[in-house]
Amino acid sequence: MYWLSGGFVFRRVVSPFHNLDPRVKLLVSLEFFVLSLLAHTVAAIVLILLAILVVAAVAKSLRRIGRTIAFSGLFAAFIFAVNFLFGLGLLDAILYSVRFLAIISSTSVFFVTTSPDELEQIMKWMRVPRDIVFAFVTAIRFIPVVMLDAFQIMDAQKSRGLEFEKGNIVRRVRNMVPILIPLVVNSVIRSGELAEAMESRAYGSTPKPTSLYGMRMRWHDTAVALVSLLLVLVVALYIYHFVSF
Amino acid sequence: MSITTGSSTLGERKAIASIEGLSFRYPDSQRHALQDVSLEIGQGEVVLLAGPSGCGKSTLLRAINGLIPHMYPGDYRGSVTVCGLTVAETPMSTLAQNVGLLFQNPENQIFMFSVERDIAFGLQNLSVPRAEMRSRVDEAMRLLGVTDLAHRAPHELSDGQKQRTALAGVIAMRPKLIILDEPTSLLDPKTALEVVSLIEKLNRELGITFIVVEHRLELLIPIAHRLVVMDGGSKVMDGPPQDVLADSRVEAYGVGVPPISRLYNALSKDGMRLPKVPETPEELAEELNGL
Amino acid sequence: MTLIEFRNVSFVHQTGVTALSDVSLTVGKGETVAVVGENGAGKTTLVRHTNGLLKPTQGSVVVDGVDTRDTTTATLSRAVGIAFQNPDHQLFSESVENEVRFAMKNFGFAEGLISQRLDWALKFFGLEQYRKSSPLVLSGGEKKRLTLACILAWDPEVVVLDEPTVGQDSLQKEKLAQIFRLLQSTGKTIIIVSHDVEFLWPIQPRLVVMSGGRVVADGKISVIMADRELLEGARVTQPQLLRLYSGLRNKPAGPFLDVLEARDWIGGWRARREAR
Repeated sequence: MYWLSGGFVFRRVVSPFHNLDPRVKLLVSLEFFVLSLLAHTVAAIVLILLAILVVAAVAKSLRRIGRTIAFSGLFAAFIFAVNFLFGLGLLDAILYSVRFLAIISSTSVFFVTTSPDELEQIMKWMRVPRDIVFAFVTAIRFIPVVMLDAFQIMDAQKSRGLEFEKGNIVRRVRNMVPILIPLVVNSVIRSGELAEAMESRAYGSTPKPTSLYGMRMRWHDTAVALVSLLLVLVVALYIYHFVSF
Repeated sequence: MSITTGSSTLGERKAIASIEGLSFRYPDSQRHALQDVSLEIGQGEVVLLAGPSGCGKSTLLRAINGLIPHMYPGDYRGSVTVCGLTVAETPMSTLAQNVGLLFQNPENQIFMFSVERDIAFGLQNLSVPRAEMRSRVDEAMRLLGVTDLAHRAPHELSDGQKQRTALAGVIAMRPKLIILDEPTSLLDPKTALEVVSLIEKLNRELGITFIVVEHRLELLIPIAHRLVVMDGGSKVMDGPPQDVLADSRVEAYGVGVPPISRLYNALSKDGMRLPKVPETPEELAEELNGL
Repeated sequence: MTLIEFRNVSFVHQTGVTALSDVSLTVGKGETVAVVGENGAGKTTLVRHTNGLLKPTQGSVVVDGVDTRDTTTATLSRAVGIAFQNPDHQLFSESVENEVRFAMKNFGFAEGLISQRLDWALKFFGLEQYRKSSPLVLSGGEKKRLTLACILAWDPEVVVLDEPTVGQDSLQKEKLAQIFRLLQSTGKTIIIVSHDVEFLWPIQPRLVVMSGGRVVADGKISVIMADRELLEGARVTQPQLLRLYSGLRNKPAGPFLDVLEARDWIGGWRARREAR
């Protein structure tokens, strides 16, 4: 739970990376993602992971990304173990597990530095349909609300003698029912109220709503985009050059 | 004391909303939620709408802003006209620019991740160009006193701040009539009073007409021009608040009559003649001291 | 005898926000205590300590001789029943009767006792006709009564009501007031958290005023509520009848508790004046 919220929830921070155009942030994360998939040696993947950490440091989010990596460590170790046990070499097993960490952390960097408003802007720019964009943004908006609801429901049921820790697996699953049903019911009620409020604010009148903020590439955005693309190209060529020799 | 049930309570005001013989039944219900309701709302009025749970207040509000029949079709008879538009025949996008609706739960009417973008929500849906959107959002924030909350996320706001944000979002659409469905019932009394004084300010400065549904009458009475009581789907009382409260029939309708009004009625029944109907306990004390 | 004791309790959230600051108070058996204060003053946090949902970061809470840190919420709830503000956060069963049974089953009551308490609770709260209905189809007021029925069914020593009158119309509030008076007459210890000073005033409970995580007043409601400055600071409103009483030149020894009392006294005063 903590890993999830720490690694993928946006926090408002002032940093050079946060200030970049959201599309450039997406580009950089994608570049790391792609490079992680291309890397063939342990040395390369470790370097890529270090580069991600450098970017995280520029984004003043090193601790959060570090925590994400730490919490993913368990799964990475699992990947290592499975690959090693199935007969792939030690180096390959290490490669796959570190690759997993690189992929997770590059995705994490994107979500930690990009606000839901920016996510909305990116989706609109990618011509994602209006309703899907709205559903996505609203879902993010209500995550803390639903979480709070869940805690309040658990408190209410605990106060009626419900004990979550006790019992075997079957009992514990049954104990989820008094939590899930009110949660679902509340969500349904909430959707109804939201729908009324949406209608009352003319939602759906136009397939192309205007927006308060637009995205504009400034010179440093273009610079970062071009330089990073160049770097990726160089690294990718090097990898393939190295491999084919 | 005059309690009227028709348009003569408007005085010199022009009618901004006109409901004639409205009856409505929800599709899965046997009984009518509204039975032959007729009501005229004058421009610039603050109307307090009260009545026990299930009397049809919420249904009436939704019939005025168009959710009924557009979102909730049903057995609909009679007519509702708002700002010259026939509600049943006008699309929600047009109605939303004339009638705004503020709901009870502050949480479930804020969609966006920041205050200013949420206020812009309705304007986005109406394809308002960016420059105009910016100035309308700024103006709405200024009017509701939330300018320094512009970039805050909803979960960082108190309930009172959320209600003000939602109201700003409605104001930005520049409706001439705003309806509020128990806007303060989830707020503490002091915060509720702040919301009420905002309503009074908007009514006074911008001439916006307000219809407010509220159980805690004493909050709204100081600023209301009119009190309309509903029961069982019908309008049963309608007039200036002090007149309606001074009519002892009002207590039979399960309306939260404030203690001072109930005391006034009890004293009047015992034959006591007081110079005027007291609006506050302090006024009543003064009158009694003067005897 | 003291049932609940807060000893220098402080509570700090994980976020670092201090919700309670050095709170000390005791609740005795059979007392009715009202806790008032603005949103965020710490009322709900205080109340969540009475059944162990929250444990103090400093100090201790002792319920019926047991420190809350030494036991579980499930055990403490036998003695302290909390009725939360939103019934929709609790109701989940296929039928009203199963809803009322739920807590008693969790507490391990014998089947015979459960049936007996169930019958009593449904009758007492006027919900017998809904026995087999789904709790979700009840009206707002009925849902509130159902949550109370669920709690009273297991007969806790202490009943805690968290904002019971929010969103209720005056008829529903009347019903709640009746239930309240009946509870008091059976000697139950009651803690009520409420904004609704008009609802609280006729009950004349012991009043605890909270502000900024601290208890700023604790004592007789008629005394505390006459202190305008204190109330302003805590953002609590004064009941109308008390405001009237303060403004009168000629008045009885103590303030009017309800409209009838006020009418009777004023009528009597007028009659005495006219007799002169």
